Amino acid sequence: MEPIIEVRNLVKRFHSRGREITAVNDVSFDVFKGEIFGMIGPNGAGKSTTFSVLTTLLKPTKGSVKVAGFDVEKEDDRIRPIIGIVPQKLSLYPLLTARENLELMGNLYNVPKKIMEERIDYYLKLVGLEASADRFTGGFSGGMKQRLSVISAVIHDPEILFWDEPSTGLDPQTRNVIWKLAKKFNGEGKTLIFTTHYMEEADNLCDRVAVMDLGKMVALDDPERLKENTGSTNLEEVFVHFTGAEVRD
Amino acid sequence: MTIVTELTDSLIIAKKEFKILSRKKALLIPLILFPIIMIVFFGYGMGGTVKEAPILIINDDTGRASSSLVQEIGSYTAKYDGSPMFSVTYTKDMSQSEAESKIDAGMYKGVLIIPPDYSDNVAKNENMTLTLLTDSSDVTTSSVIINFMRQLLAKAGSITLNVPNIYGNLEYLDFLIPGVIALTVFMGSVATTGSAIAGEKEDGTLVRMLMTPVSKRSVILGKTIYQLILQLGRAVILILAAYFLLGFNMNGSWLLVSLVLVIFTLGGVGMGIVMSTMVEDMESFFQLNMLVTMPAMFVTGVFFPLSSVPDWMRYIAYCLPLTYAIDAMRTIMIKGQGLNAVSTDLIILSLFAIITFTAGVHLFRREA
Ligand SMILES: Nc1ncnc2c1ncn2[C@@H]1O[C@H](COP(=O)(O)OP(=O)(O)OP(=O)(O)O)[C@@H](O)[C@H]1O
Ligand SMILES: [Mg+2]
Repeated sequence: MEPIIEVRNLVKRFHSRGREITAVNDVSFDVFKGEIFGMIGPNGAGKSTTFSVLTTLLKPTKGSVKVAGFDVEKEDDRIRPIIGIVPQKLSLYPLLTARENLELMGNLYNVPKKIMEERIDYYLKLVGLEASADRFTGGFSGGMKQRLSVISAVIHDPEILFWDEPSTGLDPQTRNVIWKLAKKFNGEGKTLIFTTHYMEEADNLCDRVAVMDLGKMVALDDPERLKENTGSTNLEEVFVHFTGAEVRD
Repeated sequence: MTIVTELTDSLIIAKKEFKILSRKKALLIPLILFPIIMIVFFGYGMGGTVKEAPILIINDDTGRASSSLVQEIGSYTAKYDGSPMFSVTYTKDMSQSEAESKIDAGMYKGVLIIPPDYSDNVAKNENMTLTLLTDSSDVTTSSVIINFMRQLLAKAGSITLNVPNIYGNLEYLDFLIPGVIALTVFMGSVATTGSAIAGEKEDGTLVRMLMTPVSKRSVILGKTIYQLILQLGRAVILILAAYFLLGFNMNGSWLLVSLVLVIFTLGGVGMGIVMSTMVEDMESFFQLNMLVTMPAMFVTGVFFPLSSVPDWMRYIAYCLPLTYAIDAMRTIMIKGQGLNAVSTDLIILSLFAIITFTAGVHLFRREA
């Protein structure tokens, strides 16, 4: 299988208030083209930080990362146009309407106007937001915001999708929509990397699951094999097997 | 990344800023109205005109010329409304020191001393000097009194006015308006730039923006274009309002005024960016903003001339860029001077813009 993301010995350290935090500690892995790749791990494990490096927002402290063959440090301007990002923290302009938020994204990714409008109409309908298209997103429910976030990351038709906790805090219906979107986009050939705290979500969606803990990647395999190798019946047990029962800081 | 795409990107961002601004009704109205209210409030409340200011005329002369002068002063009516400008009390044989003590006591805003030989001298058209004492603690009223007396005496003959504690011969409004414009542009550009960025940090939209192919330069450029249009627009509205509401006259070059404001706005935007990088949300930004803009407002001589403040305050003022912007604006707008007269101010303001902008761009990292 052809790797689309290659991470080699990635280290990311932060210096904050005189303290040094190693958020990602010597992590290496590949993501294959066309797969759904899940990342699980306790709070503070380093999932979002890994995402930030992969999406060129943060520079690696050490190691090398290639996305679609481009180096994240030197060729970030080649990577940005072909990736779509749903950040962990919601990021919509509350005083712009749903449509305007999507248009802004389309414009910033330089999507031709006609194609952009077609895609916007199509996606708004797909996630059931067409009736709210001209409302300010400031008044949206959490589920509506998240549906909008997800489609605003595909307006430029990216090859690779990064979703950081796309279903946290959502009701089962909205989560269902998100899952359907994941499968749909993956069916169109897009590679999807996402993080989650819902084990059954990782189990259902992922071709492969990576378990992160304390900045390390402690396991990476397909869900069935992970369960087999640890003698677990579900992913929840796998998670506890690798990361222990203690609460992390 | 070509220059054309960077420019297109920055225009997309500037447009977005305007769209969002147009929806912040609660911000939009004060943004335009605040400076106008400030001018009207200070202009009418503190100066611009003087209403029934108590003045004392010590007339030691008995001739015709002095009595007509006295009468003219008493009946002078301000141009803003119907009441007389002065309420005049007459006396004679009072020493200057006694008159001064009456001003000290707050009984009079001004004392004009007419010497015994006044009418004779006017008749012979000879040079002479009258003494005008004013309450210089009330800069507004005293400046209006001085200004008025000058004009009046110029008509009466070749009379020089000796004004101990001279402050200036401007009407307060003339003095106030250029300063208020500079202050408005400064406070506006710092606050709207900084709070918008702080707000975008809070909303997560800034990070989202920085994940797109748009360069950090374009983001800053877009915000700067937006600020330049916004602040120049506010300045124009202010000047027009001052013209129509208060009869303010612009004596200098619009082009030069724009130049000063553009350079100063750049400095303000840079400053706003620098300040926004020090905070994580709107609330802390506004605290910081208070700390930076409040002293500037009261130390730099927007409301009173720097010549009337204690030395230590003046030295602080000389460290603040706003001081030079105000000076440049006054020099151009009131005195009608050209580029030469404001070149030092412009150099200092350009340095301010370059320093804050460089620091801002540097601090506004991808990691913002
Ligand atoms: N900008 C930053 N400055 C300093 N420390 C940071 C920064 N970003 C993350 N960290 C720290 O790095 C570690 C990893 O954080 P990260 O957000 O990557 O974890 P996560 O796995 O995404 O957690 P969660 O499941 O809670 O989202 C944490 O200890 C966090 O406090
Ligand atoms: Mg996270």
